[in-house]
Amino acid sequence: MADLNQNLALLKAACENPKARLDYYLSQGKKVIGCFPPYTPEELVHASGMVPMGLWGGHAELKLVKSYLPAFACPIMQSNMELALNGAYEGLSAVIIPAMCDTLRCMTQNWRFGVTSIPMIPIVYPQNRTSPASVDYLISEYETVLTMLSTITGNMMNEKALCESIDVYNEHHALMREFDRLANDHLDVIDPKVRHAVHKSAFFYEKSEHNAILREIVEELKKLPIHRWAGKKVVLAGITCEPDELLDIFAENRIAVVADDLAQESRQYRTDTPAKGGGGLKRLALQWNDRYGCSMIHELGKPRGEMLVKLCRENGAQGVISCMMKFCDPEEYDQPYYEADLRKADYPYVAIDIDQQNASYEQIRTRVETFCEML
Amino acid sequence: MYTFGIDIGSTSSKAVILENGQKLAACQVVPLGTGTVGPDQVRDQVLSEAGLKLEDMSYTVATGYGRMNCDGADEQVSELSCHARGIHFLLPQVRTIIDIGGQDAKAIQINERGQLVAFQMNDKCAAGTGRFLDVMAKVLNVGIDQLGPLSLQSKHPVSISNTCTVFAESEVISQLSSNVPMEDIAAGIHNSVAKRVAGMAMRLGRPTTLAMSGGVALNVGVVSAMEREMGCPVQVHPMCQLAGAIGAAVLAWEKLKKEGQF
Amino acid sequence: MRESITNTTTQAEAAPAAAPAPKPKRPKPKSMIMLGEQTNALFENARLAKERGEKVGWSASIFPQEIAETLGLNILYPENHSAGIAARHQADPFLQECEGSLGYSNDLCAYAKVNLAYASVLNGESEVELPDGGKMVKPDFLLLTNNICNQLTKWYENLARQMNIPIFFIDTCYNPFDYVTETRVRYVRAQIDQLIQDLCAFTGKTWDEERFKEVMKISQRNSYLWERANNLMDHKPAPIGGFELFNYMSAMVCNRGKTSSTAVLEQLNAEIEENIKKGTSTFPVEEQYRISWDGIACWPYLSHNLRTLKKYGINMVASSYGKAWAIEYEDLDGMARAYCFASTNGDNATTMISRRMEALKKFDCEGTIYHVNRSCKVMDCQMMEVQRQLSRQAGVPFTSFDGDQADYRNYSEAQFETRIQGLVEVMQQNKEAKNNG
Repeated sequence: MADLNQNLALLKAACENPKARLDYYLSQGKKVIGCFPPYTPEELVHASGMVPMGLWGGHAELKLVKSYLPAFACPIMQSNMELALNGAYEGLSAVIIPAMCDTLRCMTQNWRFGVTSIPMIPIVYPQNRTSPASVDYLISEYETVLTMLSTITGNMMNEKALCESIDVYNEHHALMREFDRLANDHLDVIDPKVRHAVHKSAFFYEKSEHNAILREIVEELKKLPIHRWAGKKVVLAGITCEPDELLDIFAENRIAVVADDLAQESRQYRTDTPAKGGGGLKRLALQWNDRYGCSMIHELGKPRGEMLVKLCRENGAQGVISCMMKFCDPEEYDQPYYEADLRKADYPYVAIDIDQQNASYEQIRTRVETFCEML
Repeated sequence: MYTFGIDIGSTSSKAVILENGQKLAACQVVPLGTGTVGPDQVRDQVLSEAGLKLEDMSYTVATGYGRMNCDGADEQVSELSCHARGIHFLLPQVRTIIDIGGQDAKAIQINERGQLVAFQMNDKCAAGTGRFLDVMAKVLNVGIDQLGPLSLQSKHPVSISNTCTVFAESEVISQLSSNVPMEDIAAGIHNSVAKRVAGMAMRLGRPTTLAMSGGVALNVGVVSAMEREMGCPVQVHPMCQLAGAIGAAVLAWEKLKKEGQF
Repeated sequence: MRESITNTTTQAEAAPAAAPAPKPKRPKPKSMIMLGEQTNALFENARLAKERGEKVGWSASIFPQEIAETLGLNILYPENHSAGIAARHQADPFLQECEGSLGYSNDLCAYAKVNLAYASVLNGESEVELPDGGKMVKPDFLLLTNNICNQLTKWYENLARQMNIPIFFIDTCYNPFDYVTETRVRYVRAQIDQLIQDLCAFTGKTWDEERFKEVMKISQRNSYLWERANNLMDHKPAPIGGFELFNYMSAMVCNRGKTSSTAVLEQLNAEIEENIKKGTSTFPVEEQYRISWDGIACWPYLSHNLRTLKKYGINMVASSYGKAWAIEYEDLDGMARAYCFASTNGDNATTMISRRMEALKKFDCEGTIYHVNRSCKVMDCQMMEVQRQLSRQAGVPFTSFDGDQADYRNYSEAQFETRIQGLVEVMQQNKEAKNNG
């Protein structure tokens, strides 16, 4: 139990001070590459002997970014840009920005001109995944990323290193999924804040280090007796569900998170890179084709509703909390459809606004409390 | 058996004593909210009206913004749930409630037992709330109580298209300086509020029976505009301001029943 | 009162108007009458096709129209249609329905909001009166590209599910570099090839290479004529009021591969040349300032925009749309490359800036008005930097205003007037400085 708490505290600390993690790797002589949400080819960075670190914004007073983004832009992009313009990211050798939504498309250019001290590497994932040609196209995007990485940092990768990195990442996915399963039997220990920290901290660790910690956490959890949670159980949907003040409100209302469809969390671990199918780059491209249930990846039929219903059933959840990132149009297009599917399946849901520059949580508190009373 | 419901809002405190879950023994409103002497005052006043003492209350539920700071409450419940239950007590046939307050607007859907089924809230934006009306009343130099009746005199309402309160204000000023009749501008303002709220409420589906509550429900102009926007009659119960406190007292009663306390 | 519209519904990327623009005191030019007939024919033919049991499609504005044209398919354009509804001030019930019963956020692109509500009516799920009687007939399939933005992809996903119809999709990939990579060309070409096959199978049409060559020729002739008409604005004073050019975009978007557009554009060119010959202009007052307009027109407030600009003698002589259909190519590979590059929104900032620089210089613009279109994040989230650089490089001042391409609630007359006044003050200063020394 002591190990468990220690490990959980480590991961929590990483989330509270990602800069310390950056400094740690830099002091070890490692190079660190910033990775924008939602998906970047971290394996390429990893295989090149560098550490990928997620850039998911944070609480920042918006001043300098106002020269680049209007008020109605994604809060994560606002924070990332503000932090970057203030020099908070100095130390990163480069950033990778995937142009997966309109605002991200623009961010490639805003960063390119606004943050000249940190080179920007764009990647444009294919959205027509039914086209076999999309695989070769994506491979060429990966190769462009690799060329830019090596030109900027001097670091290169080889096939063997890539295959090893793919294995590390696949193992990471498996461990995170196992953690999620086990967490549901120990909701007294793995409360919403802790669960979130375990997920988010993955972005601030070199993955095999995170794997080691996860393995220990999983072992320790298995030793504990199963806890029967008496409170409410929910599934989260959206981009992110943070910060801690928000997760505290869940805990106050005895709400436990038993599964999630969050871009920052479980969406990262749903899909493994296939073990067969070609060389490393090809297999990574095939993984992209296998991804599903994300608002930013083109998919027909609006399947997220059915997926959320399934998540609720499989995990004994009583409802869904829709964490609507302000101004996130991809999520806004999905919302009416998955809400309709949840209604049909008789699962209550509530939407809360997620905004990184939020100062007051009173309104969210009211909504969450009321929702709880409905469950 | 008496249960006590208290609703501590930001600008007023309301209290209700319910007898045997059915009869309103006493109701009081004090125009002082959380953090003031309001809550204590309203409690004393309502007990006095009923001729009872605090010890006579079997169970107390507190609701409203200041509910967490209410000493002596046995339980705190959100204002949406209490409000829903309260309106259900006053108007048992109603299934959809629209509550437009000073700072926010809510749409609530309830079932035949007065339980919350779904809700929508606008709590970030002044448009579609009492605040919007306050701002516009000032611009027109009309008392907030007169705004509603004024709007009903309009024959040709103008359109106030902007949803941003700041821009809408400038639109109103521009209309005034073009000598557009005040009643037409007032009508436009009410239509704007109604549209905004109706949009939010329609997300719950088209209502069959609809009631309004909250401070703005007393504005006949808004009620009339809402009827048009929602396409159905709107009921406003004269005691709707007490809905939160009534609902709290009802929930207190139900809690006792569930625990088999009598 | 306002006459019904008619004619032009314009389209997308900058769909121009179809509005009952300020009441013309002069008779409508022949080219506009032809344009009106063409638009009526577009909708009528689609309706008739449906009656015959043929499959009709809805398409994104910069989808390769050559494909559908070659196959002889009837295609309508939602972006264009929504712009028309907005310009005729008919958008409100659709916006209310979309944000109300349909449960969508008000943050979304207003073209999408209007169209999703309209589609819901066609699909029997909503009851909003269709001011055009439903002439935008229910589609059997969708043609989609994402060169102009990503929201289109989500919008069409929803339409497809709602009406249970297929999407024929060409993913054109954003270009973060100054050119279209060969890898993109190959990917897009492969998609085009597959799409043609799939579309033929679905609609029962057959691909005729000769017809394709013919359509390419017509399309390129029309692109040439369009650019030519725009280029004639470099005369001083400009021979027409620049906003009028927005009207003709419906020909370019909805009918680019048709000979009827050739006729319209030839007529337009002739009318403009006539003005140049006579030394006249359709711009109602003396041209005092020449500006470029960045972004789509603010359709719901076109009249207010024009009135305000007229007050200061400001004529829009350039926009980003002059070269938007400079889509020239000779084969399918060329088509693949051209459509990746076609939309300025799909190009990186350097390309955006150089295209605009070219226009500023060519048309001798003294200022830029940038429409901060609330519906269009793909522009608004990078335009501040673009305008900054442009202004520095070209030495031309700019101002911006908050508006929307279709949501009439996102605009303030007072703000627009103030901003334009500010721009005029700077342009005047610059003019005086130039004259004095």
